[in-house]
Amino acid sequence: MAKKDEVLKSFLTHELLFRKYEVQEENLPKTVREALTSDISIVKAIALIVEGLDGTSPVTEHVLRNQVIQFLNEAL
Amino acid sequence: MIIRKIQIENYLCYYDTNTFELSNGLNIILGENGEGKTKFYEAIDWLFNGENRELDMLVSAKKLNEAEIGESFRVRVSMTVDQDGKKSIITKSFLAMKEKANHCYTSSFMIEGIEENKIGERIQVDGKTLLDNIFPFQIRKYSMFKGEAELNIFESESALTDLINLFSDAKHYHKYSEKGAFLREKAEKAVEESSKLDKKNDSLYKRLEGEIFQLERDKDSYKVHLNATEEEILKIEGYLQEAERHVSNADALEIINNRIKGIEEKISFATGRIDENYTTSLFDDNWILVNFEAFQREYADKVSAHSKKRRELQSEYDKQKGIREGEKKAKAELLNNSVPLPIGVPSKSHMEEMLNDEICKVCNREAKKGSEAYDYMMKRLITYLQSQSVKESEPENDNPLFKFDYTNRLESLSYSHEDNLKNLRLIRTRITDLFEFNDKRKREIEEQNEKLENEKSEREKILGKSSIGAEKLSDVLKNYNVWQKEIKNKNQDQNDYNSKLKNIEYDLKTKKEEKDNIDKNSASSFLIKTRNILRDIETIFIDTKENKFDEFIEKLQTKSNNFFKRINIDSFTGTIVFTRRNKVNRTIVEVELQEDGRKFYKPNQSLETSMHISILFAISELAFESKNQNFPMIFDAPTSSFGENKTAQFLNLIFETENQKILLIKDFLYTDRMTKILSIKKEFENVKRDKAFWVKLERPFDPNNLKTINSQVIAL
Repeated sequence: MAKKDEVLKSFLTHELLFRKYEVQEENLPKTVREALTSDISIVKAIALIVEGLDGTSPVTEHVLRNQVIQFLNEAL
Repeated sequence: MIIRKIQIENYLCYYDTNTFELSNGLNIILGENGEGKTKFYEAIDWLFNGENRELDMLVSAKKLNEAEIGESFRVRVSMTVDQDGKKSIITKSFLAMKEKANHCYTSSFMIEGIEENKIGERIQVDGKTLLDNIFPFQIRKYSMFKGEAELNIFESESALTDLINLFSDAKHYHKYSEKGAFLREKAEKAVEESSKLDKKNDSLYKRLEGEIFQLERDKDSYKVHLNATEEEILKIEGYLQEAERHVSNADALEIINNRIKGIEEKISFATGRIDENYTTSLFDDNWILVNFEAFQREYADKVSAHSKKRRELQSEYDKQKGIREGEKKAKAELLNNSVPLPIGVPSKSHMEEMLNDEICKVCNREAKKGSEAYDYMMKRLITYLQSQSVKESEPENDNPLFKFDYTNRLESLSYSHEDNLKNLRLIRTRITDLFEFNDKRKREIEEQNEKLENEKSEREKILGKSSIGAEKLSDVLKNYNVWQKEIKNKNQDQNDYNSKLKNIEYDLKTKKEEKDNIDKNSASSFLIKTRNILRDIETIFIDTKENKFDEFIEKLQTKSNNFFKRINIDSFTGTIVFTRRNKVNRTIVEVELQEDGRKFYKPNQSLETSMHISILFAISELAFESKNQNFPMIFDAPTSSFGENKTAQFLNLIFETENQKILLIKDFLYTDRMTKILSIKKEFENVKRDKAFWVKLERPFDPNNLKTINSQVIAL
């Protein structure tokens, strides 16, 4: 398992996702690639951050901010 | 990684070339004090970390003495290492040239590296880079220990951070918590700017921001105070336990200390119950009603009399109604139940005519005035006339006597006042009761204080039977009482700070909620939703990092305790406990030995050493798990406090562990009193090991003349 997928998995097991966002365990993506196409905004936002920090081409803080905040502002 | 060979040449007491062919597993190097053990350790340390100065101090005096003036020779420490089937040699050396007797010139040192591949080809590489590749600096830090004191690696607060960086996943998650905070802050700022566009909340919003800022500052400041207080409590507890160690009857002391604690708690409880705010009762809303009872009595009597009268009237009314009903029924029976003619038949004029003529023209009979027939006709006429007149206030037959039941309401009020009389009577006595209650508590406190003094003097008696001299004892006693007082004050401070922090947290939560509510009404909803999700993401990142941290600490604790129990088999150990403490802006981990959940402040040196060694072995296992590689551990005199038996047990235990260990110890050597010959004890035969050496000075030698010193290496 790639490091970034391992990191994503450890975030996606947080109880907040199940309790507050009512995410079903069976709907959780297994990889960052899968999570980037998720319909659940918080899951996709986490995936964007993981890809930005542990992906093949890490991005700067500025780019990360634009990617994540812009995605959420448009999606919500 | 395994160190296969160490060569030391002309380095201090190691004259000429000395070779240690080491094995994987346990390597024991025996040596008497001053015969070369520590110089072996120092030679390796110089190879790893030595600086380029005062190199002439490292030259073998014997070699220098033997060299001719102008002659050069090499001083060298070399290490041959096996890593994944590849051999590497790292050599650190310098040239020494004898200038005159006892003096030499030295070159700078050089570090050479040689890598040998599986088919035996050798390549020259940079020695320092090679060393850092095969045996990284951070791991070397947890691999070499000189003496027992150095084993306590957690004395330095940075040790844990280094460990986490090396072996735990927590470090990787640090950047996530940082970025999570960064993104959340940006989203918060966007919401704030959007909210501020709505000018109607401008001043309230600014005020809330200011209050939140101030509360955050107060929170940080109280946290600093709390941390400092907690540290002081720990320190004082340590002093107290150290002082108590001198006491012969430790059990009795513990009992008395517990009793004193109990009494102090009772005093504190009773003090807390005393409430001398008497004016509160005087200003009670009901105070004016203390004389109400007499008025209530008069009121109740009147209501009762009124109620009785009302019931009598009702009863009379019901009786009359019953009579009327009865008359109607009787008349009906008189007419033989036939239906009577309606009133007005015969008509009024016919009736008057018949009365006038005194003849009943219905039945054609004479009806003289005063006769029954005449009276009957007159009654019929009167009934008719009455039926034609309008009677305004004539009650309907079905109407109740009393339209409204006010009496019942008055009675209810009376009952309710009656019930409340008990409370009103209490007002009169409440202040007296409060005085009595407070006096009772004060007497209790006095009694408890008396008991406390007795217990304290009892404690001093026990402390008096101590293992130290009278002079020192008076110091200890003086300090002991001061510390006891101090710890009581500090505990109180700790409670105060905790309660203040709790209040601040509550206020902060309220203010933030208030600010969030303004945002909800003023800022764009998508900005608020983005901020809320980023708040949750930050929480997820922080929690995950802390979980990874805790997992690592738990793993380290479990592994350490496994070793600890094995080293101290069949004897008291207690438990090694790692405690994470969050300080302002940083997290530290404290290691302590606990017995039944209580900190064991001053374990003896042997117990302390075995605790530290257990932790080091645990770290070594973690290093293997995270790097998939074993690293050697080198200890110089780690078990000086153990004694030979425990050292033998300890060596047999660590023989079973995976990685390479090199231990330098002075045990198992014996000097014959008569012949002064040094030899190895038979007991050493029972010590399990993979390889053993004996470093001993070549005899004869003059301890005051370094030129005669030469450590020989004997493989056993």
